[in-house]
Amino acid sequence: MGKVNMEELLNCALCPNICRCECPVLQATGREAVAPAGKARLAAMLQKEQLGWDEEVLDAVSHCLSCRGCTIHCPFAELSLCDELLNTRLVAKASGARLLQVEPYLANLRNYGSPYGQKSETAACGEKGAEILYYAGCTSLANNPASIEAARSLFNKAGLSYQMIEEDCCGYPAEIWGDEELARQLAAENLRKMKESGASTMVTGCPECWLTFTGHYPEWGLELPLEIIDASTYFLSLLEEGHLKPGQADMKEVSYHDPCIWARAAQKTAEPREIIGRIPGLELLEANSCGEKTRCCGGGAMFQLSYPDTAAAIARRRLGEFAENTAIVTACPFCREGLLQENRQVLELVELLDRTCQK
Amino acid sequence: MGHMKTILQQGKVKQAVIDKFVDKATGIVGADNISSGEIDLLSTCRDYWPVSSIWMLEGSVPALPQLVVWPQSTEEVSQILALANEKKIPVVPYGEGSGALGGAVPLQGGIMLDLKKMNRVRKLDALNQLITVECGMNGALYEEYLNRGGYTGGHFPQSLRCSTVGGWLACRAAGQFSTRYGKIEDIVVSLEAVLANGTIFRGRSVPRAATGPRADLLMVGSEGVLGVITAADLCIWPLPEKRHYATYTFDNLADGLEAIRKFIRAGTRPAVVRLYDAQETGNHFPELGDERPGLILLFEGAEPIVKAEAGVVNQIVSGHCAVDAGPDFVEHWLETRFNVSAASRLLQKDAVLDTIEVTTNWHNAYVVYQAMQKALLGVEGTMMASGHWSHVYPEGAALYMTVVGFPGEDKVGYYKKIWRVAMEACLAEGAAISHHHGIGLHRGAWMEQEHGQGLEVLKKVKAALDPNGIMNPGKLGLEEVQQWEK
Ligand SMILES: Cc1cc2nc3c(=O)[nH]c(=O)nc-3n(C[C@H](O)[C@H](O)[C@H](O)COP(=O)(O)OP(=O)(O)OC[C@H]3O[C@@H](n4cnc5c(N)ncnc54)[C@H](O)[C@@H]3O)c2cc1C
Ligand code: SF4
Ligand code: SF4
Repeated sequence: MGKVNMEELLNCALCPNICRCECPVLQATGREAVAPAGKARLAAMLQKEQLGWDEEVLDAVSHCLSCRGCTIHCPFAELSLCDELLNTRLVAKASGARLLQVEPYLANLRNYGSPYGQKSETAACGEKGAEILYYAGCTSLANNPASIEAARSLFNKAGLSYQMIEEDCCGYPAEIWGDEELARQLAAENLRKMKESGASTMVTGCPECWLTFTGHYPEWGLELPLEIIDASTYFLSLLEEGHLKPGQADMKEVSYHDPCIWARAAQKTAEPREIIGRIPGLELLEANSCGEKTRCCGGGAMFQLSYPDTAAAIARRRLGEFAENTAIVTACPFCREGLLQENRQVLELVELLDRTCQK
Repeated sequence: MGHMKTILQQGKVKQAVIDKFVDKATGIVGADNISSGEIDLLSTCRDYWPVSSIWMLEGSVPALPQLVVWPQSTEEVSQILALANEKKIPVVPYGEGSGALGGAVPLQGGIMLDLKKMNRVRKLDALNQLITVECGMNGALYEEYLNRGGYTGGHFPQSLRCSTVGGWLACRAAGQFSTRYGKIEDIVVSLEAVLANGTIFRGRSVPRAATGPRADLLMVGSEGVLGVITAADLCIWPLPEKRHYATYTFDNLADGLEAIRKFIRAGTRPAVVRLYDAQETGNHFPELGDERPGLILLFEGAEPIVKAEAGVVNQIVSGHCAVDAGPDFVEHWLETRFNVSAASRLLQKDAVLDTIEVTTNWHNAYVVYQAMQKALLGVEGTMMASGHWSHVYPEGAALYMTVVGFPGEDKVGYYKKIWRVAMEACLAEGAAISHHHGIGLHRGAWMEQEHGQGLEVLKKVKAALDPNGIMNPGKLGLEEVQQWEK
């Protein structure tokens, strides 16, 4: 990432918190310190050295999901508060301030290349040298191997060869927790493996990975050796080209939860809906806030690891925005994990698609 | 934070007293809902008073509290207040800090009672068109909740997205659609509140009652000095079937004002009536290409009523040589009406910007505008002083002045000056010193001139309801604040 843009940060620090209604962290905690402009004020004070780093300040400016909910109503088109907070946090390490609860996850990243620790299964599979590389991401590998199975099954049904590599974390968690050096090390390792794979296209189902590859790698001066495409766009193209044919759905209706990054950073709101729309007999029930106005599930910025209680509270609030007793489909391993509460049925889009596709 | 300068702090409560309070209060609200963390204190110590922003840029704060407490129920508020009262610890209720006059500054330290966790809808009573909502509910989320059920709350302050229902009631707020739906005091049917000693009391939600003065409604506009508003029954309306937009320009402001007076007198009630002076018309609607005062109108409701009202208004304004500029400017206003970006930008460029809203009767509506504009432009450093009328009544209107100045070093001195001349001009012409932002800290200095003996009555009410003076001390002009003179 870059330097803090002081003018934009101050624009925010001097704002009456117009977007506070859309900040899930504030809504879940009620703390002014973590309101969007509240965090910006602290960050601005840190920049101006009116405030020194300590655990309490670091904790407050880390209370950001990078969900970009604040951009919905923000009058400053150039401002990306979550990036300014990220840039702010990157200098905390030098001061010695630490978020103690993430230290074990950072150690996992260093030791195993995944915040979740030793991988229970190896990701490497498929056909070596295949054009398509499927990158699952640590969270799916650790928490929802079924979604990886579904993606692999879809490749097989479409008759396409694919490969998976022994993935290292994309670097996003390390960066979000202020260890840019580690993030870059992980990125370099990933890049090496991507190059070795010989693939020309990489499909990923994880929005955080996608954003890191497409947004942060270039900022770190890393050139990607392949084209990156999100899983929804990719599988939709397989449907459009007739490689996949969905059959009758085994349920009548689903709701779709737009993951923040797909919706607001990648503007991918139409593709998942098109996929759902192509499944015969399945009706889509929209959530109260949807599309680019979606609300975070609480899983952004690795909150499920760093602030599990807050993440769960945010998810509960989000669940209230869906029709009751309806299965929720999403396209992000964090969202699936977060929304799996209160006995809700939650599945990833690839899982839904795989269930209905015979071919 | 040790080096953070507190400019208006008037003392603090002894730490030993605070510690004892924390011991007991933790048992009431739970450890998660009480904080003495420096970051929480720093983040809850101010509102949107421009002076706080000026100081923030300089690395200072107006004053710091000693604790932040987040109650989750009326009972918790009651127990916390009773305990604070017993220990004589000041309590400042806090909504979302959008107050524009320093009302939430904890002058004497003590407790910031952050009410955001009291944000539930208790009941929606469709038949009686009522909703019971807790004080900490955010305005935009409140309206969103209602819209989902096919209703509107009819209350749209520009701060809708960053203010609470309790804050609206405490400050006697007015929304942009007030000409149709009324101000918050028209929308509230009854409320629930807690006094300094912990007494909980509620009004009854009947249409009206000749049962003496309403105790609960005394809290409307009390800005936290009499107690805490914990919940309210508010009127709601079905979402309007039809909307109609119209924009007109006039040769001069006096014509525009007269046209409005007449169509209100004729019984029409457009939801939005906003008449801008030429400067603001140019600023807000540059595409209009008309350097004259502009009036935007929004009608809503049942289609035949909307049609009839728009027809009557059109006929009346035509008699004042109004030029019909079509509906697009209202669309533009609707899209941009919550956009508050100028202040952030200007403050960084060493400007001072504020808005001063007053209210007056028709006979001198234009004169008050002229007098306030002249007074503001007369202060050295002022670059712009413009105005619009934003809320109208059969008996008069609210005037909203915006002033921008580049005063050089002494920004706070300039701020005090513009307010002094504006308030003096307003009072000299017989206008009232505030229409909807309230009094807070800064406007308290003119309360005596505003109320005369009435202020003594208010002081007696305060003394009776809050004998230990713990509730939001130094606000509403009930006590002098030594460090802050006009
Ligand atoms: C950009 C902007 C636009 C605005 N536009 C409008 C507008 O169009 N119309 C309008 O009327 N106002 C407007 N305001 C002023 C402000 O938003 C209102 O005064 C609002 O009602 C304050 O609500 P809050 O929740 O932010 O209260 P706060 O700022 O937190 O508190 C305001 C005062 O009320 C007291 N208080 C808060 N909650 C309670 C409670 N539950 N019980 C007792 N006391 C309480 C506080 O102690 C304080 O004195 C605007 C402000 C801004 C920044
Ligand atoms: S992100 Fe934008 S809208 Fe939100 S507080 Fe900052 S400046 Fe205001
Ligand atoms: S990105 Fe999300 S969590 Fe972060 S400040 Fe904006 S709305 Fe809040």
